[in-house]
Amino acid sequence: MSDLAHHDLSRRTLLKGGLMALATGPLLAACGVNTSGSGGEGSVNFLSTQFSPVEERQKYEATLKKHAGDIQVAYNPVDTGVFNTTLKSQLGAGKVEVGIAGGLHSDLIPFASQLEDLSSLTRDLSSAGFSDDLLELAKLGTDVPRYIPWIQATYVVAVNKKALDWLPSGADVNNLTYENYLAWAQAAREANGRPVFGIPAGPKGLHHRFYQGFLLPSFTGGQITTFRNADAVTAWTYMRDLWANMNPASANYDFMQEPLGNGEVLVAWDHVARLINAVQDKPDDWLMVPAPSGPKGKGYLLVVGGMAVPQGSAEKDKAFELIKALSKPEAQIETLKSNAFFPVVETEIGGDLPGGIALEAKAVKAQQEAPDAVLALPPVGLGDKDPQVSQLFKNCFQEICLNNADIKATLDQQGAELASIMDTLNVPCWAPDPDADQCRVA
Amino acid sequence: MSHATTNKTTSPESRPQPEVDRRPLARQRRNRILLQVGCVLITLFMALPIYLIALSATSSRAALQEFPLSFIPNNFSLETMETFLQSTGILGGLINSIQVGIFTLLLSLIIGVPAGYAVARFAFPGRDPYQLFLLFTRALPIVVLSVPLAQLFLQTGLYDSILAVVLLHTALALPTTILITSSVFLGVPRDVEEAARIFGCSPVQAFLKVVMPMAIPGIAAASIFTFVMSWNEVLGASILTLNQRTLPAQVLSSLAESPLAYRFAGGFLLVVPALIFIFFMRRYLTNMWGSTIR
Repeated sequence: MSDLAHHDLSRRTLLKGGLMALATGPLLAACGVNTSGSGGEGSVNFLSTQFSPVEERQKYEATLKKHAGDIQVAYNPVDTGVFNTTLKSQLGAGKVEVGIAGGLHSDLIPFASQLEDLSSLTRDLSSAGFSDDLLELAKLGTDVPRYIPWIQATYVVAVNKKALDWLPSGADVNNLTYENYLAWAQAAREANGRPVFGIPAGPKGLHHRFYQGFLLPSFTGGQITTFRNADAVTAWTYMRDLWANMNPASANYDFMQEPLGNGEVLVAWDHVARLINAVQDKPDDWLMVPAPSGPKGKGYLLVVGGMAVPQGSAEKDKAFELIKALSKPEAQIETLKSNAFFPVVETEIGGDLPGGIALEAKAVKAQQEAPDAVLALPPVGLGDKDPQVSQLFKNCFQEICLNNADIKATLDQQGAELASIMDTLNVPCWAPDPDADQCRVA
Repeated sequence: MSHATTNKTTSPESRPQPEVDRRPLARQRRNRILLQVGCVLITLFMALPIYLIALSATSSRAALQEFPLSFIPNNFSLETMETFLQSTGILGGLINSIQVGIFTLLLSLIIGVPAGYAVARFAFPGRDPYQLFLLFTRALPIVVLSVPLAQLFLQTGLYDSILAVVLLHTALALPTTILITSSVFLGVPRDVEEAARIFGCSPVQAFLKVVMPMAIPGIAAASIFTFVMSWNEVLGASILTLNQRTLPAQVLSSLAESPLAYRFAGGFLLVVPALIFIFFMRRYLTNMWGSTIR
């Protein structure tokens, strides 16, 4: 048992251990387990900001499987932050593994110049019947189409039939005015002893879309140009009154389907996909109705999602094929039935919709076809300033409704910020603001 | 009270005994009770949320809509749990997460323990700056690093593999591993090691046979940190992978937008493996308290 022998032995074992540790490297690279259905060689990676909730994802994967034919699709729903970094890093490294980037209009804006020119695909799909508004949006402020419209949705009001008891006499639930809506909220609050109307004003709620696309267009006929005029003051005065009759817990609601489902709230405005779960289980207990009308009409916001192909994508041809397949009416209707997003192509929806979806489809149709409808589009061409602009609308709500600040002063303050953002951007106006080469806050 | 006590303890010779001061004893008892109460409160603080998550994860969806929710499991249903487990990538993500956790643990120990030993035992130029420099890895938020890191991994072909995540997590875990193990090695007397050398051990053997066993509790603590850190890390894992996600990266963003029932199911699934790991490592940890008391 010499000292030397020990020395040798332990050194050898150490070396062995080190080598084994090194050997695990390549082994590790090979032994990961796939988590996106089919991420094998030659499959199209579909990175998306939509359909990430557990059940929605399962349903959309089924739709993909059914309509993608023999193209293998790895569907990867992620949140907007990861969507951005993933695309940014892949485009930056010049090694794009994402085949299709699917997101809302605003998700795709930051990458406008790095997305494939889809002119040829748009030509191939010209018979599908995309509306001109959508095709214009799809250019993302450039000269050529950058995405193919994928899904669309809007916001409506879900009504628990119990609440109809307090509907003011003479008001038509399918054709409400903002005055009716407020009177109804008041009556319901008095009858119940607590407010039963709600709005998704939580941290992840979409209430800013209510001001941008519904309240302000209905009261002022505009969104940006009219941000701080006298009509806007009327609109925000109305909003303060309405808030006083809303469930104060609304400041925590992200998805109205939850408070609607457990009865905390009986009437609520929200994105259709964030209402559907409450309605779906018991369609007989619910109504879905268009948003109210104001002095300038029935403002409503269109939500558009698109499918884009990042430049340099390895699976470009397959991605194009997949986009074509998903633009077929059957695939679009399947998406409506399972995920409550509406077709962007021209198609007959048909009468065999599940109960909740049928209610929703009726409300959306009535809202779009209302004689006084005022279409509002999501901000066009704001680029990375988009979230800042949305934040200004949320600030107005925060100051006026929660902090009880002076309305005119708040609008002047937030309007000045909006004006400086719009002045630096130099972008043309979008609906509902009147056409102008540079959109400015009046 | 003190009067009665004196009476009892009076000796037959009826010599007046000094009065026994019972206050320290009472204080000790009171402290013990307080300690017990404190322990129970802390346990409740930790266990109650886990219990509530487990309860909600195994309740039916209809039961979750009721108000107030009941504290006892009377609506047992595995429906949400099953749907959740069957959704794409949950089991795959679980396997990936466990692999990433274990390999991160091994790699960071293989690199970190010798480094900790060196910092504790040897005086070398630049030791103090080195110790400070270690912490700099944690000073940069991943958000800042993410895009360049992902680009680098894309170019080297490591992107979207378990190895990429293991490397990132190891880099994140090393500072804690090195600092914890070095402080433990400091606690192992140099004499013991020298004695081992005198009795014929080589330096490596002395380290492996004498120093390491005494440092096990610290290494256990470091590995708990490492594993739990790797298990909980979301951002890096979701940026470096696409089709081979770890469980948190796979589910966390989707859970935030899912109905309540799935959030509970997902939360439960995320908590359990980390708990099992901690239970397993716990006995090495208690060893540490045992040895210090001795």
